Amino acid sequence: MLVGTASVDDLAVSAANLTEFSAGAVQFDDVMCFQVIAEMRNQAREAILPPGLHPTVPAALSLQVWRVGDSPWGAFNFALCRVSCRSGVRARGMTTAAYVTTEAAASNLASTFGYPARIADIGFQQNFDSARFTVSSADHEILDITCLDPQPLGLNDVQYTGTLNLAQTPLGLRLVQLEEQHQASRVERLNASLRKFDAAAWGNPLLDPYWIVASSLCAETIVCSPIRFVCRPDELAFTGTEAVAGSSRG
Amino acid sequence: MKFGIFFELSTPRPFSREIEWRVYHNALEQCRLADELGFDHVWAVEHHFLEEYSHCSAPEVFLAAVAAQTRRIRIGHGAVVCVPEMNHPIRVAERAAALDILSNGRLEFGTARSSTWTELGGFQVNPDDTKKTWDEFVRVLPQMWTKDAFEWEGRAFSMPSRNVLPKPFQDPHPPMWVTVTSPGTELDAADRGLGCLGVSAAGFDEQERRTTEYHRRIQCCDPVGGLVNDQVHTMNFLYCHEDYRAARDVGVPMVNAFNVANSHLYWTREAHPTTAYQTLGNVGAALKPRKAVSDDPGVARGLPEGVGVGDPDHLIATIKRWESIGVTGINFLLNAMEMVSQEDVLKSMRLFASEVMPVFRAEQDRFTAVYTPATVHEFGTVVPEVRR
Repeated sequence: MLVGTASVDDLAVSAANLTEFSAGAVQFDDVMCFQVIAEMRNQAREAILPPGLHPTVPAALSLQVWRVGDSPWGAFNFALCRVSCRSGVRARGMTTAAYVTTEAAASNLASTFGYPARIADIGFQQNFDSARFTVSSADHEILDITCLDPQPLGLNDVQYTGTLNLAQTPLGLRLVQLEEQHQASRVERLNASLRKFDAAAWGNPLLDPYWIVASSLCAETIVCSPIRFVCRPDELAFTGTEAVAGSSRG
Repeated sequence: MKFGIFFELSTPRPFSREIEWRVYHNALEQCRLADELGFDHVWAVEHHFLEEYSHCSAPEVFLAAVAAQTRRIRIGHGAVVCVPEMNHPIRVAERAAALDILSNGRLEFGTARSSTWTELGGFQVNPDDTKKTWDEFVRVLPQMWTKDAFEWEGRAFSMPSRNVLPKPFQDPHPPMWVTVTSPGTELDAADRGLGCLGVSAAGFDEQERRTTEYHRRIQCCDPVGGLVNDQVHTMNFLYCHEDYRAARDVGVPMVNAFNVANSHLYWTREAHPTTAYQTLGNVGAALKPRKAVSDDPGVARGLPEGVGVGDPDHLIATIKRWESIGVTGINFLLNAMEMVSQEDVLKSMRLFASEVMPVFRAEQDRFTAVYTPATVHEFGTVVPEVRR
């Protein structure tokens, strides 16, 4: 059975501090959400994930760039990198790094959902037949993706998987399971080219998105439910999952 | 009720030449015993790159060995992935015909389109196209098997007039099936007069709904070939032991190991936004665990309803339930990841054959023809459609 082999102590260095498990959902309105999926070379797949998670066959990562028009924390742009994985038998993506454009969003994304969000400049440029997404941190370009030829798809044709954030929580260091509902009003598939990807800046020099699979751009509302489950990062989810107080196991 | 065995040839880590050899040769021994015991079918899947879950990438080779080592069990080539990047349709027709000849007319021919990005991506297949090419394959293969001169101009491939050789031993050709994972595929099968080969462990209610609609639709089908195959088979697990608790102690971890290996695959819908794949994987598509569905990662998917793990009385009751909802055959996975010793797999098969099988079929009936599909009388008199 494939399982992660990364040192939890090493991963914990960049973990966010989730101060309390919030009781309410958070809604992000007027969102444009770009997602690109890329395969990685299998040699690194176990080394990137903690022992509590299973890699996928083949190894893959997803990059998401959000332009949020309205939220409890104001408007902001947000970018994150996730490694595709399985928690138990469920499809997930573990965040390796995240960037955001405002301090308010950075602190709330960390304290509410455990995102390790740092401040960066995030460009979200959408034209009629193309798009470009860039991230720069301290004047250093760490992401540049260009896309061409948007093609309309059905509103349910993009599959998002749940996110896992490694964070210090009231229960200790845990993988925090985010459950997001994406309610799309427009969906497009695009042809993406990855011009720049700084692996170290995205959390691990082993990250290697060498083969672009597909990308999508959705106009949508995103609702993040209150945290219900967390998992011990060094234990498989079958035994290492804990229900957060106030939630119930199904 | 027909009983088959079904092979993914799952192989546990650490991979070695020895473990793959053992998996293949254990499976062959199970096939020989199934032939002696009166099982009706042996099916072998086609999968590529699916580490641990399935190392069965050349099923026609495995099944040729099965054919040579058995005398009556029918040979289920199921399913051949009907996308041209993986299998050219001419080669599919040729291999299947040769297998039918070598097995003395025992071939059952399954068709599929693959559901993982792991496979489609490896062959650079556009997921948008797989349903279209599958449809084209199932329409041309019967023509290749029966016409002395066949030509075609289509989406998946084109060819000038040739005699595709050899022809199958069965007249007009082997029964054809479609693997059914996504809801709705059973209707595609019915509309074309094809058998419904379930490969995901659907629960009773879901299976009944699908089976009822399938049987209704196939009454007015437009057959793609010279036979109408109206059988509905479902996939299940088998571990039979005199003691119910002992059966569960061995069988439940086997089912869980299968589910975990299955979950590691990278599903097409997860990787590639498309209208062509509406469900996330074959286990997730149809399996209905006893517990309420939740997003709790600590909960394994659980045993599907009607799983064939238990003592003979439990299995008899379970199979009667499947029979009552219109299922005409069950194909059993006997092992997963070599979780069960070969000795115990063979014991389980023997116990099933001695205590369970006779309830559903008289001894003498076990060794007669499995079934006789209805022949389409006008087939062969119609000029093949050529798309230009």
